[in-house]
Amino acid sequence: MDSQVTQVSPVRANAFTASALFTAALPFLVLLILGLTFPLFGGGYWGVIATRACVYWVLVSGLNLVVGFAGQIAIGWVALLTLGAYTTSVLAAGNVMPAWSPYLALAASAVVGAVFGLIIGLPALRLRTFYFAITTLGFATIVTQVALAWQSVTGGGVGVPGPLFPAPFASQWGFYYFCFGLAAICTWMTANIASSRFGRALAAIRDAEVAAEASGIAKPALLVTVFLFSGAVAAVAGGLFASLQSYITPDAFTIDLSILFFIAILIGGRSSIIGPLLGTILLTVLPEFAAPLVAWSTFLYAVLLLVIVLAIPGGIAELLDFKNRRPLESDRAIVPRPELVPRLLGKAPEAGALTLHEVALSFGGVKAIDGLDLEINPGQVHGLIGPNGSGKTTTLNVISGYYAPQRGMVRLNGDALPALQRHLRARARIARTFQTPRIVGSASVLENVMIGGTIDGEATFVESLLSLPRHWRDESKLRETAMQALATVGLERLANVRADRLQHSELRFTEIARALMLRPAYLLLDEPAAGLSSDEIARLATLILAITRAGTGVLLVEHHPDLIFDICHHVTVLNLGKTLAAGTPAEIRSHREVVNAYLGG
Amino acid sequence: MVQSIILTGVAIGCVYALIAITYNVMFSASRVFSFTAGTLGMLGGVFGSLFISRMGLPVAIGFLLALAGGAIFGVVTEIVAVRPVLKSLEQHLYVLSTLALALMVQQFTAIEFSTEQQPFPRLLDLPRVDFDQLFWLPMLACAFVIVGLELLYRHTLIGHAFLAIAEDNYAARALGLPERGLRMASFAIAGGIGALAGFAGGEMLLAFFANAPTLTFYGFVPVALGGMGNNRGAVVAGLLLGLFQQAANFLVGGIFASVAVFTVFIIFLLARPDGLVGSAVGRRV
Amino acid sequence: MSMTRRQALASGAAVLATTIARPAIAAKEPIQVGYLPALTGPSSSTGIGINRGIQLAVQEINAAGGIDGRQMELITRDTQSDPTKAVNGAAELTRGQKVSCVFGPVNSGESLAVVPLLARTNTPQVHPCWVDTLTDPQKYPMCFRNAPTNQQIGGAANRYVVEVLKRKKVAVISDTTGYGTASVNAYVPMLKEKGAEVVYQGNVDAANPDVKPELLRMQSAGAEAIMPWSVNAGFLSRIINTRGQMGWDVPIVGQTTLGIGLIAGLLEKHEYWANVYPNNFRPVCFDGGGKLTDRTNGFLDRLKSAKIEMGDTLLWWIALGYDSPRMIAEAMKAVGTEPDKIVGYLNQLKNFPGVYGDISFTPERHNGYPDEQVVMVEANSLKDGAFKLAPGYSS
Repeated sequence: MDSQVTQVSPVRANAFTASALFTAALPFLVLLILGLTFPLFGGGYWGVIATRACVYWVLVSGLNLVVGFAGQIAIGWVALLTLGAYTTSVLAAGNVMPAWSPYLALAASAVVGAVFGLIIGLPALRLRTFYFAITTLGFATIVTQVALAWQSVTGGGVGVPGPLFPAPFASQWGFYYFCFGLAAICTWMTANIASSRFGRALAAIRDAEVAAEASGIAKPALLVTVFLFSGAVAAVAGGLFASLQSYITPDAFTIDLSILFFIAILIGGRSSIIGPLLGTILLTVLPEFAAPLVAWSTFLYAVLLLVIVLAIPGGIAELLDFKNRRPLESDRAIVPRPELVPRLLGKAPEAGALTLHEVALSFGGVKAIDGLDLEINPGQVHGLIGPNGSGKTTTLNVISGYYAPQRGMVRLNGDALPALQRHLRARARIARTFQTPRIVGSASVLENVMIGGTIDGEATFVESLLSLPRHWRDESKLRETAMQALATVGLERLANVRADRLQHSELRFTEIARALMLRPAYLLLDEPAAGLSSDEIARLATLILAITRAGTGVLLVEHHPDLIFDICHHVTVLNLGKTLAAGTPAEIRSHREVVNAYLGG
Repeated sequence: MVQSIILTGVAIGCVYALIAITYNVMFSASRVFSFTAGTLGMLGGVFGSLFISRMGLPVAIGFLLALAGGAIFGVVTEIVAVRPVLKSLEQHLYVLSTLALALMVQQFTAIEFSTEQQPFPRLLDLPRVDFDQLFWLPMLACAFVIVGLELLYRHTLIGHAFLAIAEDNYAARALGLPERGLRMASFAIAGGIGALAGFAGGEMLLAFFANAPTLTFYGFVPVALGGMGNNRGAVVAGLLLGLFQQAANFLVGGIFASVAVFTVFIIFLLARPDGLVGSAVGRRV
Repeated sequence: MSMTRRQALASGAAVLATTIARPAIAAKEPIQVGYLPALTGPSSSTGIGINRGIQLAVQEINAAGGIDGRQMELITRDTQSDPTKAVNGAAELTRGQKVSCVFGPVNSGESLAVVPLLARTNTPQVHPCWVDTLTDPQKYPMCFRNAPTNQQIGGAANRYVVEVLKRKKVAVISDTTGYGTASVNAYVPMLKEKGAEVVYQGNVDAANPDVKPELLRMQSAGAEAIMPWSVNAGFLSRIINTRGQMGWDVPIVGQTTLGIGLIAGLLEKHEYWANVYPNNFRPVCFDGGGKLTDRTNGFLDRLKSAKIEMGDTLLWWIALGYDSPRMIAEAMKAVGTEPDKIVGYLNQLKNFPGVYGDISFTPERHNGYPDEQVVMVEANSLKDGAFKLAPGYSS
């Protein structure tokens, strides 16, 4: 192919140089230095506050993955702080069995926390947002009540003494460094996840769930992992909290504390580590600045939350996002490079036909699809047209697994595609775009495209957590492929721009780039030309043809007759859920019924 | 014993049902669940105590002022916490904005009114009997609201307009219905109902800022179980909840009663996420 | 008086400046005493009452010339009834401000967390919390309690029920708070040791509007006395109201909060308040002849002339608050402000004449309140914040 294909765009060279990474890491480095040298300038009192901020951050860093990244409204996470505090304290004090070493007790409470993090979080997979929020509040109350009732173990209302860590962590500053160390490790681990395919996948689940599913991301497995991790660190924070307090009673674990954790993440901003970190420090320190403020502290947190939600939903992270303040060029053109397609898609996929056989689906009394037969072959563009409500998008949704047909079968290569297993379509290398672009607005264009390649990653969650080599290999490979995809669709100059700043047409091409990451055998396009200028439509056409030449089969649901007749090899016309006509574009164009029903004279 | 459980259970169940209806009315108007429903209930009790006991106003005036206060807070909720986030693409923001507003009002009440339970006045000057006003006032309020809403929705033009907005927002607007005005009116009505719940239940629950989180939770359970937006389901579920709670209190004692209620609720919800009466889920893709 | 952080920093800077200036002026510096009340939050009624007494005492001490010419300066950190904020506050008082000693916290949950912290910073502490384990002369040699323990309180109430009222079948009920559950846990074995039969024992959610099933249960179990342990006025008033509605004539004996003015406002009928006997403290009660001691009368006069509100709180809280700075001031006048000296003085304290009670400590006993001054009173005899002793009570 073209040798100039590999010309790297200027953006790529800048994005990942040492200086860019340094800018991103700078706030963390500053906090690290401040934290390490804190005993030199902070007094004993501020040492207690700083230790407390570290302990809270250990919990919030994990909760951040649940709330900030995955978007689950887990308001009652103080339940895990309580569990961790009591587990560590009871084991270390020797109430029920011979006393454990406090480090082992802390480790044990991490395990307990992981289990309960899962229990408390699981309803998120079944329930709507608000419902889940309420159940977490319920859990927080249950745990406190159990702590009160189980007197023989927890001491009931009188409580238990917290664990005492041995030297060198026994002194005030020693313990501070212990907590600071753990806080730093948690920061590092969650930052690793944030810049891994897991972090991007969480954001996708939060903001573009249907697109996440289409990219092969299995929400349950990912959320389970995150709840386990988050529960474990929250419980560790609980053990540290108990040590800081020297003594714990049930009344120390208030809903106010839970709200503090939650609000810290929200004022920090979603999909951010530094934002919630600064948010936690802010909320811990704020009441200490004026004695009269103490009584009003929860009120102030609530005001802060309201202001953030209404005015700066992106929180502190948005305020710190300087690079996205730079204005974009106003006359941007999208110029795809079809010649890059073969390199991106690689070897032609060996797939058989994608067929629908007598598929029927009704919604209530309305027959959306009424006995439809369809066959799409690799290397060809198959157009699907028809009036509104004729079942075009529904057909596409059935193929990609969002609806289960009541009759009939969808087959790939002769094998039935199981209904409703959306995330398995990606493994079957069936990719799609959406009628309304589904993207993660707060992530960059590049990150959005990288979401498309999530299932190609090999590093496990733990490997990403600990920044092991396979994680880095995944990342660099994914990034390179994503840049190629962006270059192919002509958007490489916007790679690092936040996606919600893009124009509608650019979002459409971003979706295509994302879909191409799967190196699909079949690409399902849902009205990709809607909202595009005629120039852009022409370029889209060339791109689609290049994709088919590389061996991919394309199903094109469209309203623009020009696009259909220009590039399709076959066209099926739907009306009222049934095939009205099927054949080559020439045949369809002159088909009498089609002209009457749809095309007009 | 049983008589006491039934009386209290039904009475408190009516209060929970009214809060559930508050949630539902707000949801119908905006497709948003607001955390302020429980706070409205709390305010009903606090206003009653404030206007009648502390300020010495006559019961009827205090009652009207309490309802007005609730309606005003409902409208404020709509303007401050709901309207701005409806425009945004991010669905869950309303959870946060209404939570923030609810917290602000609760804390303010705690600091300015009292952190302790305050007495709620005896509303009707009648002698105390077994089937006391304590019990039948919430029942009466609940019946009144159900019948009232039914009449409103079925037999008045404005009620039909409310239903239209709830059913299909876009179509209603296309027909020229003033969506925003109707939504504000819905929230005002919801505010009045919430305040009524707290006022009618005031003799039982007293005037206490911490009633807000209790009512937020227990008022939501009937919504979850009865189906979103379904008032009849909410009432049935509310009564069942009240009875179950009192029975649990009696059988297993104070601490475990709330554990029992939460556990049963969570298990039930996991088994049937759409409630006893499911509701149609909109198209996702 | 409370200080903002800025004020604290400013005064700290001023102190630093004057110390460098001249030692003679440094001697006139105020003595800083830390104070950790719960003035806001759910368990704040005690703290608010105590606070009125403390502020009055500090004003009087300073008006009379202070301690050897040095003014006593109270540095307040409101704990908001939250152990977390109590720990933060204690850290600021000891490590930030460097106070000479600390009074408080006033709630047990907060004290449990603060006592070890103050011990680590070698700060003498006086607190009025009741949970038994809060003083331990071996582990916490600098921590003293100038109020009764749970054992003393429960013991007095149990004694009254079993020995004076001669009731053998007892129902013990509390709410679901830490204090409530801890009390029931402690008092039930004590009752059994006295030979009583505990026919009912329960923790009830204080928010539950109906306690009738519980009382019916007590009644059918044959209870002859009800002993509620809770500081929740709403909860206690429901118990009293329900007993009255049932027409069940058994005595209610228990927590001091049973006598608070707020309860009177929550009762359906004032008559229901009869046959209710809360704990209280002899020095602030009317004696057999209906008179208060001279000391107490003098105190009441001072309260009236300082226009201190009494109707919504308990006199003994104000008295306790009043006594505490005076005791600390006496120690400092005698031996100065060194921590060890203060502790040494307190360890030898005999019958400090408090309005609330006569406080004595020994090196082995840091619970300063005498057993015999814990008494039971008649709730509905409330007048000017004081009560009459309960009938049959041996003087």
